[in-house]
Amino acid sequence: MIEIDRVSQVFQTSARSDHLALSDISLSVEEGAFVSILGPSGCGKSTLLYIVGGFVNPTSGIAKMKGKTITGPGPDRGPVFQEFALFPWKSVLGNVMYGPRQQGVRAVDAEAQSRALIEMVGLKGYENFYPKELSGGMKQRVALARTLAYHPEVLLMDEPFGALDAHTRTRLQNDLLNIWERDRKTVIFVTHSVDEAVFLSDKVVMMSRSPGRIRQIVDIELPRPRRRTELLLDPRYQKFVVDIERMFDDDDEAGPGA
Amino acid sequence: MTQRGALIARAAPVLACIGLLALWQVASLLLKNDSFPTAVEAIRAVPAILGDKEALINILASLRRMAVGFGVAVAVSVPLGLLMGRSRQVQAFFNPLLMVIYPVPKAALMPIIMLWLGVGDIAKTLVIFLGVSLPVIYHSFEGAKAVEEKMVWSGAAMGLSAAQRLVRIVMPAALPEILTGCRTGLVLALITMITSEMIARQSGAGNILFNALDMGQYDTVFAMIIIVGAMGICLDAAFERVRARLVRWSEPQFDMPLSFS
Ligand SMILES: Nc1ncnc2c1ncn2[C@@H]1O[C@H](COP(=O)(O)OP(=O)(O)OP(=O)(O)O)[C@@H](O)[C@H]1O
Ligand SMILES: [Mg+2]
Repeated sequence: MIEIDRVSQVFQTSARSDHLALSDISLSVEEGAFVSILGPSGCGKSTLLYIVGGFVNPTSGIAKMKGKTITGPGPDRGPVFQEFALFPWKSVLGNVMYGPRQQGVRAVDAEAQSRALIEMVGLKGYENFYPKELSGGMKQRVALARTLAYHPEVLLMDEPFGALDAHTRTRLQNDLLNIWERDRKTVIFVTHSVDEAVFLSDKVVMMSRSPGRIRQIVDIELPRPRRRTELLLDPRYQKFVVDIERMFDDDDEAGPGA
Repeated sequence: MTQRGALIARAAPVLACIGLLALWQVASLLLKNDSFPTAVEAIRAVPAILGDKEALINILASLRRMAVGFGVAVAVSVPLGLLMGRSRQVQAFFNPLLMVIYPVPKAALMPIIMLWLGVGDIAKTLVIFLGVSLPVIYHSFEGAKAVEEKMVWSGAAMGLSAAQRLVRIVMPAALPEILTGCRTGLVLALITMITSEMIARQSGAGNILFNALDMGQYDTVFAMIIIVGAMGICLDAAFERVRARLVRWSEPQFDMPLSFS
């Protein structure tokens, strides 16, 4: 579905003239796969997602979607940004309806679908609120609903549950898994949480910092459908979590840039 | 408590006006200068002006030029400012031009413009247009520059073209800043309107004012100042009301109005 081939990204910065944010990244994501990208802050996770989204052109290398080189954004790839990026002049409903309306869905249908999505992310009753009237976690949920609303084939999620309390986080993880198991969307999911990555993913891509490289790719061979309460007791799950955490610890001991 | 606060906030501008008039009254009584009538005398002269058909036609002509100049300026400046904020090339092209025009008092261009276009409506409207354009361009530019990139990207991912993103994402996102520029522009429109009529005497509110000055009718002069001032306050208040409505989504809610409108 998505092929990233020897992608590097250099940024011009004011401090250092050139900054290598991504170095020689190759990764392929199969259709319907749930892939997490895990790595320390600043290792280029967001940048990699922007390249797949077509928002940033890589300095070298190419990214392809279904065999076609990605040259720009499109509704086949739906981003959920770390910064939410909601439209502040639109209500919650207006934000969620924006994509379907743009795609030519009739207003009544778009509204019905959007209301259902808003309910799914637990914001029923907030349809007419403006983004400034929402908490960080609520904004994040609106951003998720807004992207799901236009049915992208690939979801590009940048720490979408980072600002949520543990309870909501768990609920939305389950909801996301349900949606994914139903629609089999391809998901690239950036996170800081080892736990979350192992619970959700088929594959965990571990990145290391400065320059951002892929350190290792771990296949999470755990049966689906997954239930969180069962997994937490499952020794195989525990082993994945511990193994991954150990690998990151080794990195830290080896020092930055190693 | 909040109710009393709201009442005070509402009464404050009125009290300020009354205070100002009282100060004027006292000052002119003390100075006893022919060219400085008392506030009461000036106010008494107001109905005479507003009742005079000729004067009304003049004032309406002023307002029409102001409306046209302001409207055209906003219609041109907002898209230009937004484009400058989003495109480096457009910015590089227009920036030097605006830097040159910026510090020039627009009324100082009036003689040249009159030379080219005569003393009629077109010349005066053009000066108003120039006066209004710069703050509106500047604020639209700043507003467009400050729009969060991810917001524009979100629109791109939904399939909006570059033009659609400018109109449907950048413009609404920058609206609070754009309207701030328009508000400044509105006041400048009034100012350039009067100055243009001072230079190109022929018709208008400024014409009445400066003719009266020439003839030593100081009551009328000050009455006109009151009328123009009142027009400015009313226009600004009306605009502020519209503005607050349009950008309700962006502003923190106060239970007390902070502006003087
Ligand atoms: N537009 C830019 N200009 C210059 N440098 C940039 C730019 N965007 C990112 N960088 C640099 O690239 C590196 C990777 O940034 P990126 O945002 O992709 O990291 P990240 O892994 O998403 O971090 P986090 O987990 O904190 O979100 C950082 O060192 C950052 O300073
Ligand atoms: Mg990031």
